[in-house]
Amino acid sequence: MAHEYELSIGPIHPALKEPIMIRVKVEGEEIVDVDVIASQNHRGIEWLGMNRNNAIQSIYLAERVCGICNFCHPSCLVMAVEEIADIEVPERAQYIRVIQGELERIHSHLLWAGVAAHELGFDTLLHYVWMVREKVMDVLELVNGNRVTKSIIMYGGVRRDIKEEHVEHIRKMLDYYRNAFSKLAKFFLEDKTMEKRTREIGILTERDAIELAAVGPTARASGIKKDVRQDFPYFAYPDFDIHAITPDELTGYTVGDVYDRIVVRLLEVKQSIDIIEEALNEMPSGEIIAEKKLVKLMAKIKASEGEAVARYEAPRGEDIHYVKLKKGFEPLYSWKVRAPTYINILSWRPMLVGYQIADIPIIAASIDPCMSCTNRIAVVKDGKERIFTSDYFHELSVKKTRRLMK
Amino acid sequence: MNGEFILKLVLECILLPFFAIFFGLLLKGIDRKLVARMQARVGPPIRQPFLDVIKLFSKENIVPEHAVKWIYNAMPLVCLASSIMVLFYIPLGFPPLLAGHGDLVLVLYILIIPSLAMIAGGFASSSPFATVGAQREMVTMISYELPLSIVIMSIAFYLPGSNSFSLDFISSHPLWNSVGVLGFAGLILLLMSLIIVTPGELAKVPFDVAEAETEIAEGVMVEYSGRNLALFYMADGVKIFAFASLIVAIFFPYSISPLLNLTGLYADIANFLFFILKVVIVMIFSVSIIRAAVARYRITSVVTGYWVTVAMMALIGLLLLMWDMHYHVRWS
Amino acid sequence: MMFPMFKQLIVQMFRKPFTNPFPAKYAPKSMKKFMEDVEKGKAKINPPVEIPDEETFRGRILYDRDKCIGCQLCIKVCPSKAIEFKKEEKKIRIYIGRCIFCSQCNDICPTNALSMGNEFLLASDSKVNDELVVE
Ligand code: SF4
Ligand code: SF4
Repeated sequence: MAHEYELSIGPIHPALKEPIMIRVKVEGEEIVDVDVIASQNHRGIEWLGMNRNNAIQSIYLAERVCGICNFCHPSCLVMAVEEIADIEVPERAQYIRVIQGELERIHSHLLWAGVAAHELGFDTLLHYVWMVREKVMDVLELVNGNRVTKSIIMYGGVRRDIKEEHVEHIRKMLDYYRNAFSKLAKFFLEDKTMEKRTREIGILTERDAIELAAVGPTARASGIKKDVRQDFPYFAYPDFDIHAITPDELTGYTVGDVYDRIVVRLLEVKQSIDIIEEALNEMPSGEIIAEKKLVKLMAKIKASEGEAVARYEAPRGEDIHYVKLKKGFEPLYSWKVRAPTYINILSWRPMLVGYQIADIPIIAASIDPCMSCTNRIAVVKDGKERIFTSDYFHELSVKKTRRLMK
Repeated sequence: MNGEFILKLVLECILLPFFAIFFGLLLKGIDRKLVARMQARVGPPIRQPFLDVIKLFSKENIVPEHAVKWIYNAMPLVCLASSIMVLFYIPLGFPPLLAGHGDLVLVLYILIIPSLAMIAGGFASSSPFATVGAQREMVTMISYELPLSIVIMSIAFYLPGSNSFSLDFISSHPLWNSVGVLGFAGLILLLMSLIIVTPGELAKVPFDVAEAETEIAEGVMVEYSGRNLALFYMADGVKIFAFASLIVAIFFPYSISPLLNLTGLYADIANFLFFILKVVIVMIFSVSIIRAAVARYRITSVVTGYWVTVAMMALIGLLLLMWDMHYHVRWS
Repeated sequence: MMFPMFKQLIVQMFRKPFTNPFPAKYAPKSMKKFMEDVEKGKAKINPPVEIPDEETFRGRILYDRDKCIGCQLCIKVCPSKAIEFKKEEKKIRIYIGRCIFCSQCNDICPTNALSMGNEFLLASDSKVNDELVVE
């Protein structure tokens, strides 16, 4: 039997680039056991939202939960608050939100595709994909004023309209991606080395995916037809015919490996293109925000009370925000973010065990992890990390529930 | 006459290492620039590797606490020295400096030393990443050695005479001239095998499993820094030079001087420049383009790839050469 | 085809690189000196990618002092606390070094004293030099 030893991938590792630690036990090249140690970095975002910020400021804080999905987190927060404060969002704003969300999905999936290629040592593909991605970034800059942070969503609508002359640019971009799609599919799915590195690698069976409650493309690649846009449509999504994409649409069968995750993401880019096209055609005219006077809006939110959970299909999977507001209390009374990666990292274990060290980066990357959304808690006292038991956490949560119920 | 000869030899022996390092780094620069252009990037300036080396030399040299220090520090030197040594036996547009003292088999052996040095250095640096890297380097080495030796054997086997292993002899009897149709096809297969072996030998994508940045953080190199890393870096350049020269010497030994009607010193210079050009072209095809066009293999695929696919290709090449000797199917 | 990237490589090799080489093809040794040279006309700067829409672009904030009535609403909504109130004058001061260009202050200002400019080359060696403090 080969000698067994332990490798730590992370907290700092060239493959992950974000602080998370995977401890793998290996036997030669084969992985026999995996332990994921999250929370290497805690930023206290929820705390800030509940203590320092007022509701409007929290939108921008939510935008910075994750740089890539800087639309889904604020949207989720906004949806929850809108539900509590009973704010009716104008139809046009809902359509603009859909367009923004899908633009974000395109850029996020393309970014991921590049990273995946890089993990496999295929840097040419990385550069090619990111070159293609520039197009949507240009459109984002044109429409939103900045390449990355969109700063567009507001309680009760959106802050900026999509101008007539921008529509034309967006349409051009859609055509560009329609053409680029076949090329991308060729590079990713037909290349022999890519296929060798991704087919039958990191398989997540349907059963495991259900048991570990995987979300987003990770779950869909295992054949689970689950998509918040389809199951619990929000924004203007009820008007669209959206179905959860599974890899068998392209390949005819589902394996649940890394290859399938690539297929799902590529198909979702295509789906997003169609959604944007439809949204542009059907977009009604009218107001884009329910309450133009921000002072009034803030007063309204301050005066409302209640709690709500919002769900949003982020590029990485289902994002959930829980918000509670209290009358007369300016910040959010309670705010809980559950980013998709938080759930998906659990599936690393069944995906990794039995494969090789060489597969760790691509398998880890295949769920499109975003650690910045994931980190929760780390207490370091006197240079020692304190380990919490589940009993202690239980006690804490009971206390918190009591406090919230008061 | 004799004194002059020795003087020339000593001079060349001093000059060659410097030239090898210089040209190796230049090759690396060209490679990086070209790959960048293939990836639609601007890329670093061609002199970038020189700047890198200068910078590395000015950096602190860190030795890990649990490393076996003397091995750890010696291996970069061994790696560089052995890479340069290969060049003494390879004709670089003129007969090899140590012609007559060693042949292709010796070159094969010396080519292993840089890899061995990297393995020893990796194991000595006591990092788990380096250990994995060193193991992978070993496996890669075992894998590509088989097709590599088949290629070398086939060529030596084909050439007549007792000194058919001598590189000088091989390069003065271009193979393409003497083969028939079958042999031609065989040679093409052998050349292709050698080109596929190159990235493995030089630890480049798709066979850079030992240094896979995203997997094991540069593997064997993970603990190296400063001067030691600079030495490895230069050795890498020299290795590219040496291996490309080997391919040129075996497969493209033609010189340009008869074509230009040059004689004497001019002929030597022209031949040498032509040789350099050939090395660059061989490097582009065997390193740059392959490196840019594919993804990295897993170590298991490296083994099966080399042992089954490439070795098979080389064997078929050998068979074709043998047939060629028997049947003599000529072009016309 | 086994390696579809191959063709693309050859095509790209003979094409102009996609990268916009800003501010110069190769990074200058000292950026500060390079910028000084550019000002003196000794070196040429390669322009950055153009701003696609000047109206929507969110660059450095422009502040119209005269319009400001000192209501402090902008301070209330600024998510990064980049705005400071000057009590004596009843005016504000914006530290661009902290600003995240969300333009929320523009939206809430009752007199439209604030607007987003087009300047985005704001790198500097001091957070509080004249360019990075708007008042
Ligand atoms: S743009 Fe945003 S961050 Fe900048 S000063 Fe205005 S409110 Fe503050
Ligand atoms: S909101 Fe406008 S008017 Fe009020 S303090 Fe700010 S800049 Fe001045």
